[in-house]
Amino acid sequence: MRSPTDRHPTDGTLRRLLDEPAGVADVDRDHVAGCPVCLRGLAAAREDAVTAATALSCETTPDVDLAWRRFSAATVASATGSAAARTPAPTRRRLFTLRSPVVAVLGLVVVLGGASAAAAGDWFQIFRTEQVVPVQVSVNDLVALPDLSNYGDLQVTSEPHVHAVADAAAAEQATGLRPPGVDRLPRGVTGEPSYTVGGQVTAEFTFSAEKAARAAATAGHSLPTPPPGLDGSRFRLVAGPGAAEIWSEGRSIPALAVVRLAAPTAYSSGAPFATARDYLLSLPGLPAHLADQLRGFTGAGTTLPLPVPAELATSSTADVNGHQATVLASRDRTVHGVVWVENGVVTGVAGLLGEDEVLAVARHVG
Amino acid sequence: MTTPPGAVRSDLEQVFRRDYPRVLAVAARVLGSRDDADDVAQEVFLAFGRSAVPAGEAPGWLAVAAAHTALNHLRSGRRRAAREKAVADGVGRRDPAPDVAEAVVTRDERRRVRAALARLPRKQAVALVLRHSGLSYADVAAALDLSPGSVGTTVRRAESALRKELSNHAFTD
Repeated sequence: MRSPTDRHPTDGTLRRLLDEPAGVADVDRDHVAGCPVCLRGLAAAREDAVTAATALSCETTPDVDLAWRRFSAATVASATGSAAARTPAPTRRRLFTLRSPVVAVLGLVVVLGGASAAAAGDWFQIFRTEQVVPVQVSVNDLVALPDLSNYGDLQVTSEPHVHAVADAAAAEQATGLRPPGVDRLPRGVTGEPSYTVGGQVTAEFTFSAEKAARAAATAGHSLPTPPPGLDGSRFRLVAGPGAAEIWSEGRSIPALAVVRLAAPTAYSSGAPFATARDYLLSLPGLPAHLADQLRGFTGAGTTLPLPVPAELATSSTADVNGHQATVLASRDRTVHGVVWVENGVVTGVAGLLGEDEVLAVARHVG
Repeated sequence: MTTPPGAVRSDLEQVFRRDYPRVLAVAARVLGSRDDADDVAQEVFLAFGRSAVPAGEAPGWLAVAAAHTALNHLRSGRRRAAREKAVADGVGRRDPAPDVAEAVVTRDERRRVRAALARLPRKQAVALVLRHSGLSYADVAAALDLSPGSVGTTVRRAESALRKELSNHAFTD
């Protein structure tokens, strides 16, 4: 026959008795049942547990579908760096926490520089955006992209400091870009637009063979041997300034937004760039089908890849006043956008509009 | 634990859909705000997407990551300050209060709880949050590398400290 021990169980045992009595030894349970000291301890533990449960309660009714869409969209927005002006505040905050894909994609822009000439000495331009071409990716691709900072040092030397301004004149003064005038608004878009501007963003990346080797070793892989001269090579990425004209109508996704941005360019301090490009494309972190797409347009150093996540959007091409434009459509066809490059300026038109409507606006912006 | 370059997690969406509610709940218990908890959940799943954590260990890994990430945000104080300012400014639209007095009381209580959580030793805080999020003693023990027997002690100490913190501050307020 078992008899209760004289030893008082620990506070931890008393606490477990509240939650998982089956996990407490019989001898301890029997002791507590007959011990006024332990019963008082048990009551105190119960009181504290209830207090904690109340203090920590927070109603959450998860909407998993919505959360997955947000996760996908935030990842994509970070990777494209293009949605800040038309996403609600929580997503904007995430742009800062999900910055790695931005870095990775900026790195791809460098890869796509593709200029065949080797740089020597001073900075010189190796990439300038003359057209935008969609690259089919999945959300998993974007999550899996290697972080460029694993392969060297990345410094953002100039931040955009995005902020609202009063009107078109102020936007032009701040950026040197004249906000596009929209002669005739699509049906359902009304009122005056708001204006948001951002300054030039510049970043410099210095390739480090040592850092790359360390990152590869940590992940259990060995990287291809960097070609001679790549270690210590510097690349400068420049984008902006930019200005956006937004008819939000109180929605998180604007009814209409027109964005102008000085087209991204890239410069090298001296690497043989074709060699660097081929090496970066051979890194094991880059999904193979994405690398294949990128290899397809590395010729002239003038094509900006625009990652289009297959789960969220489709892309097609159209003509905007003689320029090839990329048309994007959300899977549910409620949001359309069109982006094209003209004289070193990237212009985008997007909103809760049909394809015909965004193209009509695009073809008539001043 | 990092996913080898090129090895995309094929189970990311499946794990997200299965474990998002718990990750959100863990973060919400720490932060006291559904919006902030959702931000943390997004960060946690991004990290998971880059990791090579076996799918079977994902629930525990995600819960611990949610608790740590939320506590990191809490201790940085920035999100809390921003959220409280938003509530004070009447911008916290997802969390409307029926009247101003109730909003102020709720805000003060939440602030006290968050401050008390931030002062707890990290292991106690994580154990407390995981236990109150429904993880078993065995799960908490495995997640925090504790013996199951010491989970009760850790949780008990955390609850006692939390109650004292709340009592002290309620008394001094």
